[in-house]
Amino acid sequence: MTPQSRPYLGFGLGLRAQHLGEILENPPAVDWFEIISENFMVAGGKPRRNLEFVRARYPVVMHGVSLSIGGTDPLDQQYLHKLKQLAQEIEPAWISDHLCWTGIDGINSHDLLPLPYSQAAIKHVVTRVNQVQEFLGREILLENLSSYVEFSDSEMPEWQFVAEVAQRSGCRLLLDVNNIQVSAHNHGFNALDYLAGIPIDRVWQIHLAGHSVHGDYVIDTHDHAVPNAVWALYSDATRRFGAVSTMIERDDHIPPLAELLAELNQARAAQAEALGQMITPP
Amino acid sequence: MSVELVALQKAFLASMRGAAANRAASDQLMPALALGRNATPELGLAIYQNAYGARLREVLENDHPQLGKYLGDVLWLQLCGGYIDAHPSTVRSLRDFGASLPGYLATAAPFSSIPITAELAAFERRLLDCFDAADAPLATWQALLATPIKKWPSLRPQFHPSAQLHHAQWNSVEIWRALKAAALSSAQRPPESCATSADWLLWRDSGQITRFRSLSADEAHAYAHFRAGGDFADLCEALQERHAPELVPGIALGILQGWCNEDVISAWGV
Repeated sequence: MTPQSRPYLGFGLGLRAQHLGEILENPPAVDWFEIISENFMVAGGKPRRNLEFVRARYPVVMHGVSLSIGGTDPLDQQYLHKLKQLAQEIEPAWISDHLCWTGIDGINSHDLLPLPYSQAAIKHVVTRVNQVQEFLGREILLENLSSYVEFSDSEMPEWQFVAEVAQRSGCRLLLDVNNIQVSAHNHGFNALDYLAGIPIDRVWQIHLAGHSVHGDYVIDTHDHAVPNAVWALYSDATRRFGAVSTMIERDDHIPPLAELLAELNQARAAQAEALGQMITPP
Repeated sequence: MSVELVALQKAFLASMRGAAANRAASDQLMPALALGRNATPELGLAIYQNAYGARLREVLENDHPQLGKYLGDVLWLQLCGGYIDAHPSTVRSLRDFGASLPGYLATAAPFSSIPITAELAAFERRLLDCFDAADAPLATWQALLATPIKKWPSLRPQFHPSAQLHHAQWNSVEIWRALKAAALSSAQRPPESCATSADWLLWRDSGQITRFRSLSADEAHAYAHFRAGGDFADLCEALQERHAPELVPGIALGILQGWCNEDVISAWGV
């Protein structure tokens, strides 16, 4: 059953500079756009003008990469103020970032780095999520990572860590189905176990993307079309979570907009088919 | 927060920042990593290390395309490696990662012996700053003409937030233009650098296009004068040192009208 409280935006795309000309000239049939929050934390100029144009025509969600919710440096108050200001200006449907840390001692790696899956880390992250949510005055969404290392201190599987953070902090989840697929391959867990461990009511958004296969391991490059294995896992996710707002996230080797729109239509069809297969209670 | 988590993150980041230089950090981190099925701890760390350098290099490449062409592949990679080591990012947005590049080029060998490189980098940073500077309304010439003449001496024009001065001691802007216009192959050499002294004004026009042009000596003087808080009357007095008094009002108003027509003035400051 799809939780009644979950907003549903339909099918969206990440707003990318390569497509802006086309979007401004002929706004495409996309239900919503996701923006990278940091790209619009600028004073003015074209980025803000273009965002105003898009926001006037579409729902927008904000997706950050620098919150460092799992970091051990103090939360960056200046960043949080900018985030809140941007949110006040564009009124996004929601704000998301990643369940990760990005740096320490004031140095930002600009990467999304994994945490040990421990009770201590959960307590640390939950405290910080609460601080952020209180400051922003709203729930945030946190996205699961793809990762290439695991820590010997981990006390539980990743999905249990994600679920506990969400349940104890009250945050929602942005489930990146590709990231689950990548980490499942690299770390040898069953992606269906992951989905089964995630509480249904917490999931508000899904990312679909591609990855690069390098022999025995897989790298989350977000630079390929969505592969069959991810489509299959998306169908599994839809059968579990119901109708979740879904977007194609392409970060590199950005194809023409028409190609992404076709992929988005594939997502519409996949979700509709999977929803038809959901077991509904009598 | 747990001490262990702090120590883990310190070791992890140190390891990411350079496999060779931080061998000790990697060695310290290894026991904290679990054996993966398809990605060994060494392989996993290498993926993060490679991504760290590649991501930051890509930012510098995007923000400094002509500087990269000028230096050529070998020096460019040396610059990226040196800068990434010396100036790890302390910013939340990658847009600001290269902010210290001009200063690095001016002081770090071998680039400090090629002084035009720091100027090229500074010019490209100013272009970035113009691109996303704050928006502001633009002043009109009609508004100035409608201002009572008696108020003109106290005019203090305010520049659009994107307006910036690039003082060049080298022909950096000419070289930047040549590099941008020509798709140089690595075998071709960029134009020769030479010492000069020129002031360039950069700004963003009402169509959101970044513009730049050189300033005459009078314009450069007027720009510095108004930036320092000077008014129109004092500017006219200063211009009398190099022009006949009867010509000065026309010259000063000509400068203002030119800037106004080019979208450089935000308010007349009366």
